[in-house]
Amino acid sequence: MSIQTEVVVIGSGPGGYTAAFRAADLGKKVILIERYTSLGGVCLNVGCIPSKALLHAAKVIDEAAELSECGVQFGKPTIDTKKLVEWKNSVVAKLTGGVKTLAKVRKVEVMIGVAQFVSDHEIEVTMKDGKKEIVQFQQAIIAVGSRPVTLPFLPEDPRIIDSTGALELNQVSGNMLVIGGGIIGLEMATVYHTLGTDITVVELMDQIIPGADQDVVMPLYKRIKGRYKNIYLKSKVTKVEAKKEGLYVTFEGEGAPQKPEKFDRILCAVGRRANGDQINAAKAGVTVDDRGFIAVDKQMRTNVPHIYAIGDVVGNPMLAHKAMPEGRVAAEVIAGLKHYFDAKCIASVAYTDPEVAWVGVTENEAKAKSIKYAKGVFPWAASGRALSIGRSEGLTKLIIDETTHRIIGAGIVGPNAGELIAEVALAIEMGCDAGDVALTIHPHPTLSETIALAAEVFEGTITDLYMPKKKMDKVG
Amino acid sequence: MALALKNITTPDLGGAPDVTVIEVLVKPGDKIDVDTPIVTFESDKATMEIPTTDAGTVNEVKVKVGDKVANGSVLITIETGVATESAAVPLAVKEPKQPEKSVPEKSITATIEEPKTVSQSDVVITPPETLIEQSMSDVHAGPGVRRLARELGVNLASILGSGPKQRILKEDLQEFVKSQLSQLQSGVNAPSLSALPVIDFSKFGPIESQKLSRIKKISGNHLKRNWAMIPHVTQFGEADITAMEDFRQAQKAEMDKQRVKLTPLVFIMKAVVASLKVFPHVNASLDATGENLVMKKYFHLGVAVDTPDGLVVPVIRDVDKKGLTDLADELAQVSEKARNKQLTPYEMQGGCFSISSLGGIGGTAFTPIINFPEVAILGVSKSSYKPVYQDGTFVPRLMLPLSLSYDHRVVDGADGARFIVHLSNMLLDIRNLLL
Repeated sequence: MSIQTEVVVIGSGPGGYTAAFRAADLGKKVILIERYTSLGGVCLNVGCIPSKALLHAAKVIDEAAELSECGVQFGKPTIDTKKLVEWKNSVVAKLTGGVKTLAKVRKVEVMIGVAQFVSDHEIEVTMKDGKKEIVQFQQAIIAVGSRPVTLPFLPEDPRIIDSTGALELNQVSGNMLVIGGGIIGLEMATVYHTLGTDITVVELMDQIIPGADQDVVMPLYKRIKGRYKNIYLKSKVTKVEAKKEGLYVTFEGEGAPQKPEKFDRILCAVGRRANGDQINAAKAGVTVDDRGFIAVDKQMRTNVPHIYAIGDVVGNPMLAHKAMPEGRVAAEVIAGLKHYFDAKCIASVAYTDPEVAWVGVTENEAKAKSIKYAKGVFPWAASGRALSIGRSEGLTKLIIDETTHRIIGAGIVGPNAGELIAEVALAIEMGCDAGDVALTIHPHPTLSETIALAAEVFEGTITDLYMPKKKMDKVG
Repeated sequence: MALALKNITTPDLGGAPDVTVIEVLVKPGDKIDVDTPIVTFESDKATMEIPTTDAGTVNEVKVKVGDKVANGSVLITIETGVATESAAVPLAVKEPKQPEKSVPEKSITATIEEPKTVSQSDVVITPPETLIEQSMSDVHAGPGVRRLARELGVNLASILGSGPKQRILKEDLQEFVKSQLSQLQSGVNAPSLSALPVIDFSKFGPIESQKLSRIKKISGNHLKRNWAMIPHVTQFGEADITAMEDFRQAQKAEMDKQRVKLTPLVFIMKAVVASLKVFPHVNASLDATGENLVMKKYFHLGVAVDTPDGLVVPVIRDVDKKGLTDLADELAQVSEKARNKQLTPYEMQGGCFSISSLGGIGGTAFTPIINFPEVAILGVSKSSYKPVYQDGTFVPRLMLPLSLSYDHRVVDGADGARFIVHLSNMLLDIRNLLL
């Protein structure tokens, strides 16, 4: 016997649960299918949330140590990683439990099992105990997310972990190689380094966090270069030999050592792959490309008009805050609203120390697309607030359309950059030009001031810096 | 140094909502200089060649024949050398905003002129389907307004924002939708009546398909609209032009010497102006709200000219200030221009009242269609001698059949009749024109 529903959502990550809840709120009968017992997907269980919990602990430890320079000495912390992981897990449990409650009060039926399409109106759900159920749906939303990519030459070894394994903090001493200098690798490196691990990072490109502009990444690079054992840029791992006493890694590339190096652990963080290939989408007639992505229109509709897809599985950037509004749009379109995913920009944040955040057009992108732009850059060394928290290495950069003077992008590096970037996202959505932001009174002393000051640098009205002759830093 | 890609966009077309691409003059790889024509557009008034504002090599042609484009649409992308980059200036308007200037077209065809207000009302609400993949990223409006626009199926590109730096506000969107609705209700843009059936004529005999000329296609739309939306009444009358014709014939030899063709039409034009002065609301237009009359203090008359491609209506300006021979001269020039497709859009704009004369051909009467935004049009048929009962006897008089179509919203029946009587009296004795 099969279960009937109006809407089925596959995957309960931020995109999936948002879609399911919104559809239910708009009067639809909804079934939410999740393959793991805990709702919330990667973000809540093994992604954004647990990593931020650990990063918070790391931050407090680092700040306590740094305070010694100001004459405040703390003793060396004793770290109970078991308890730290328990606390992290309690944060996760609170949130995933919250999602479950939210589903319940909305009468969204949650099915725990693996979903596979069997036709364009039917999904087979295989439960943990092997029992199978057929769900017949009128509309489906595919929100199956993505998974970490593994390198084919890595041996099977418990000492080689991905981001999920890294969150378990099984061992935080010794040395660790982080393959991939992107956001995920560097966030975990931040945690492990603070907890006492020697870190080496290897990155294929010529800079860490390749999506961001180099000047924005530089303060982070300088800081971790001094703290980590090694950062090998323009380099890659070619071979890993697992021996009892350690993992012997052979590198290739400009910055890499000639001889193999021994590591106690390897964190592989080279990217994520979309899960479009996991659901037998062909049975429903939904096209999945060879990278696992499913193409959708601006209403999140796949090539099959009554089947929608959202989140990581529809393309980059793979971010929860992209998946959630997409899920909302899909649910609203299903409910008959004429909504479209129409965002002008989506911010990216690396919760490293310092944080790196960017939104809209980067300088690299502007150059590649021949966009005529100017920029306003404010160094945090001139910010009273930055100095008073002991962090002067930050930078706030606005990318401005040279003709219209509208703000089209920004890059911020420094503590709390991830919080600050939202103001620029709003400015871009509202079509603010630099003058609008410069004329908006920002509270003093705050880090948010640096955004207004960067706009003033562009406008040539800045008084907190002295900029002889050159009115603005024009590029083009 | 690297080459930069640059978009060449549609220039400001002076209020025309959209135009059709009828010819693409460049292809990828072509090297073009500043002012090289790249596409030919056709608006409701004219065709025009659009030149490029930047030199370079054509990288991609973004439009094809038949595409509708609006201000700012990308036409082609070109690779510009660095040298030309500094010369990159905002695209200049090539069609003059100032009508006095001549237009840089090779050939201009045109049809019954249309005022700007109507052009704007032609901005039809785009059906939502076409918005699906259309990005609003270039539009200066916040996300909330963009969403509302999507819901209403409004293309924000057609709205001028009233917020700071022309940001489109929610109120602008509401105002736009309201104005579109009120136009619908007042009859402008009314949806077409049910479609006519498709008939396979080849069932009945041999046929051949022939394309309508461009002028016919364009004027056809205007005629259809004017016919459907203006409540027409046609008043017939006859003017005794025996004396006028005697005078004209008497002058003919002298006029021929001066190479002036003094036609009856110039007399009729003068008479019409005299009648318009007495009936000023015939020299008027309804404003966009339909609640006010725009009274005109000038006397520009449209004169329908038959050309091989179709009907065009050039406008003779300030007829009240011109003598008969001047008018005759100008009429001859304008007709010649019309036949050679040399009329500029300006020469077909601004008319107060139109005259369509079929007197040279024949027929007794016809019902001309009002040339919006004018409120009346005079049809003139062939004059003939008729027995007229005068002083107890029939006398042969040369009678000119007149057909006055008027907009019944503006002119009522009694005034229509009075106008034609007044006009007939003017023609009966042209000395009246001096009074």
